Amino acid sequence: MTSRPIGKDVPRVDGWAKATGAALYTDDLSLPGMLHGALLRSPVPHARIAHLDTRRAAALPGVKAVVVGSDLPAVKYGNWRLVPTTQDELALARGRVRFVGDEVAAVAAVDRDTAEEALALIRVEYEPLPAVFDLDAAMAAGAPVLHEATPDNVSVTRKIAFGDLEAGFGASDYVREDTFTVQAVSHAYLEPCATLAQADDLGRITLWTSTQTPYIVQCLLASTLGLRENEVRVVKPAVGGGFGGKMELRPWDVCAAFIARRTGKPVKFALSREEELATGRRRHPMRLRSRVGFKRDGTLMAKDLQVLLEGGAYNSMGPTATFLVGNFGAMLYRYPAYRYAGAHVYTNHAPAGAMRGFGAPQALFATETQMNMAAEALGIDPIELRLKNAMRPGDEIPDVATVGTCGFAECLERVAEMSGWREKRRRGPGTGGGKGLGIGCYSFITGGVFNWFNTPYPFSAAEVRAYADGTVHLLTMASDIGQGSDTVLQQILAEELGIRMQDVQMTAGDTAMTPKGDLGTWGSRVTLMAGNAVLEAARQVKEELARMVSLRFDLNVVQEVELKDGMVRSKFRPDRGIPFAEAVAMAQKANRGKPVVGRGTYTPRDMGLVTPTFSFGAQVAEVDVDRETGVTRVTKVYTAHDCGTVLNPMAVDGQVHGCIQMGMGYALSEELVMRDGKTVNASFLDYKMPGALDMPECEAVCVETHDPRGPFGAKETGEGPISATAPAIADAVWHASGYRATGLPITAEKLLAALDGDDSIAGERRAEASCAIPDPRPRG
Amino acid sequence: MSLCKFAYHGPETLDEVLALLAEHGPAARVMAGGTDLVVKMSRGQVAPAVVIGLKRVPGLGDLRFDPVHGLELGCMTRVSDVLEHPAVAAHYPALAEAAQATATVQIRNMATIAGNLCNASPCADNAPTLIARGASVELRSPRGSRTLPLAELFRGPGQTVLAPDELLLCITVPPPRAATGFAYLSLSQRSAVDVSAVGVAAGLTLADGRVAEARIVLGAVAPTPFVATAAADALRGQRPADEAFPAAGDAPAEACSPLGDVRASAGYRRKMVAVLVRRALERATARALADGRARTARPAEVTP
Repeated sequence: MTSRPIGKDVPRVDGWAKATGAALYTDDLSLPGMLHGALLRSPVPHARIAHLDTRRAAALPGVKAVVVGSDLPAVKYGNWRLVPTTQDELALARGRVRFVGDEVAAVAAVDRDTAEEALALIRVEYEPLPAVFDLDAAMAAGAPVLHEATPDNVSVTRKIAFGDLEAGFGASDYVREDTFTVQAVSHAYLEPCATLAQADDLGRITLWTSTQTPYIVQCLLASTLGLRENEVRVVKPAVGGGFGGKMELRPWDVCAAFIARRTGKPVKFALSREEELATGRRRHPMRLRSRVGFKRDGTLMAKDLQVLLEGGAYNSMGPTATFLVGNFGAMLYRYPAYRYAGAHVYTNHAPAGAMRGFGAPQALFATETQMNMAAEALGIDPIELRLKNAMRPGDEIPDVATVGTCGFAECLERVAEMSGWREKRRRGPGTGGGKGLGIGCYSFITGGVFNWFNTPYPFSAAEVRAYADGTVHLLTMASDIGQGSDTVLQQILAEELGIRMQDVQMTAGDTAMTPKGDLGTWGSRVTLMAGNAVLEAARQVKEELARMVSLRFDLNVVQEVELKDGMVRSKFRPDRGIPFAEAVAMAQKANRGKPVVGRGTYTPRDMGLVTPTFSFGAQVAEVDVDRETGVTRVTKVYTAHDCGTVLNPMAVDGQVHGCIQMGMGYALSEELVMRDGKTVNASFLDYKMPGALDMPECEAVCVETHDPRGPFGAKETGEGPISATAPAIADAVWHASGYRATGLPITAEKLLAALDGDDSIAGERRAEASCAIPDPRPRG
Repeated sequence: MSLCKFAYHGPETLDEVLALLAEHGPAARVMAGGTDLVVKMSRGQVAPAVVIGLKRVPGLGDLRFDPVHGLELGCMTRVSDVLEHPAVAAHYPALAEAAQATATVQIRNMATIAGNLCNASPCADNAPTLIARGASVELRSPRGSRTLPLAELFRGPGQTVLAPDELLLCITVPPPRAATGFAYLSLSQRSAVDVSAVGVAAGLTLADGRVAEARIVLGAVAPTPFVATAAADALRGQRPADEAFPAAGDAPAEACSPLGDVRASAGYRRKMVAVLVRRALERATARALADGRARTARPAEVTP
């Protein structure tokens, strides 16, 4: 491996261990005397717990602890620490359950079988309460109330507005209004949640847990148990995916830690796939009503977006989703006037949370589908319509965000070229013998600037320790959950210090060992934020070593010292230099043994309300629709994307492919089907996630920009592309069949019904559905 | 989910298997690949006190073919064995299609054809083609042996006519016939790796360019594999190009009794039966026509 790893196809540093099964995930860990936990979950969607009797369970041989809500401190938690009224969850229910799967009791026993046997011995009498399962029922007058503090079931509302909306619509030649609905889908990360807690003799906790956010879990677990923050140590082992579903403190973390303290024994909880699918976090189902106005020539004049988010029984990350969907609704195009109103609504379903793309897949399915509908109505090619209105570098969303680098227009041109768009799209809808192609575009944040967690620490931090043997050790709380950030951060470090990948070792995601702070893996933030922290730390080391070489060779002060090929040397006179290891040894001796250490942090400031910088991209999907079965096969996907400067092409390709896989499921087959509050398809047999064999051919090009805010010019790529795929496929289905989907997923059965003129199955009735947000009722 | 407590036996001869079955009867379950049984046990759907594993008995996994006796699949023949066998590819392409439609590579490498049949799931992919192909099964117990047409094995979802002491020992498929083609088509939401919402096996024998005999068997649309006898009989004497084929699926679609569930509604399944029957017949016809004799003489060995 060269000493210039940036921009190269550097393989995953964790790839071998994961491919061979050597990587240790939380459930692989075991400690002497460890107990196994299991959770009793509510079988009913909404009820008062009239009676709870755990005596028989506690008496079962092998059972070491049975815990119910009243045993735990009554401390509510939630990620929105900045606004404590949004923190509405308890680890175990106290007197009331609000969804099927709400945790009621926890058991720890000598083995998993005994723990599950004990669950069956717990007697719970539920007094059923009326439940609400959809937006309309939840918002109706006199609807059952889930949380007394929220009498209208609307827990959060957010607004964004700029420009003169009335003037914009008034000056429009063409105005259309459409309603879109999107479903709940699962993260379906391959590693179900697991946690292992150990308590020391003072009751301090070490928690190994499958998380994206060790720091958030550390803080919230401490406050939930009445401990100080650093009396909890959270360690992130290998994590098998998260996609937003593992960024909160969860009940099993609390129960494991509580029981470990009570029994003095380590306690592990590991969820099953069925628990994950039936009760786990999910992407917010939404109803979006969008009114948009154009000039006859296609110039966008105004947009009015109203969105209702079905949040389920608790807030989870809903407050952020409620803002972001409005933000993403304003992205991609230059809207002279824009108004957004969103409301997060409680229902008796498992709570929705953050999920890859967070707010963008929903907002952009609506935006992009509506653009395609408008293009059709205006008689303008969809790509031309987009080019006419595309955001450009330096554009602003007033009072919200400024667009820095932006290769959107170039992405549109490139994707049109790659896909043969102008030729293939010339034919009318439904005339291609079942074949069609369609377009969708995206923009996404590269990390969030928001501090809903109210951290007093930097957003990211890194420590670099350089040793006299030529190795360096990188310490950061940044959490690789499978996205490849450990690899990219090591690339950044190796590049900056001019050393090889194998000279770098890394300790990450351990709240006791790695520098504070880090907000975790979400919002496509790690490469930019942790990357900048690593860069800053590396530069301190570099400066120290440069000083040594400058001294040793008596370099002129104007001479640059470069770290390259394992050497620290004058750039002007490369013969004047010494190996990296020697330079470290020199620096240490010069400082009387003080280690050579660099410390870097990153916290975004004065960067608007959203992000340091946005990614952009355009995608074209080709499909084959079987008119007789309704089955849609995606045959090819072309992507042109602007992720800044590419740090690792192979990793970027992997992210694009992953986004296409997830976007395809969202478009065509994935949905958590709910009946009376229960998830009907809680297994991978019936939750239809596309597999490797369903993947289309994927062709992607990077339209490189150099973003001054990203390390080496990089922006995000892990989440953005997912939002383009569903609208691109939906548009391709229209082009192939003539059916324009305004709801997802476009299952074979739905598509066939629609093509056969049977609207009852396709669900077109929602055109009448309201997205109006009622006036708030007085809070209790 | 936790597994029930059970005793595991790993007999090494067929006689030992039969003795164990005789001894434990209804308390015992036979395990071939275990891909259905272990899942059911871990979900608590079955709780056998005794599990009799077959993998140590030599010879049970043999797959034999000869042009006179046809194809014989031992009860430990894995789905992937069928998928990969050159004789199956050459003479029984529809069996390979059904094997290919079964689950995933990993499961196909463990699961057996006999297990797929004995599990008696209405959507078992391997049942319709084998029935259409006229397969029979040999059931063995300490009391003796009996042979049944495969269609008679099934009683309902998860239920077979196997007595508690009986083992499905082998499956026999008649030899390939001249001017005959079969095909299996299934439909599911994913293009691969899925459970079929509808499965259709169809086959026909041609003589003088006309249908001499046809078979249509449906999966996942009735409690047991559904043999659409009337619809198949109605094809007799038709020319493959005639108008009869486009409508050949309508009668079976009418006659079957699909359920609606999260995989597909009953109405959609019915519609798909009509489509898939027609397509399967088209593919079967192409295979039959690939044999030059289809257009000429009436094949002598056509039997019901």
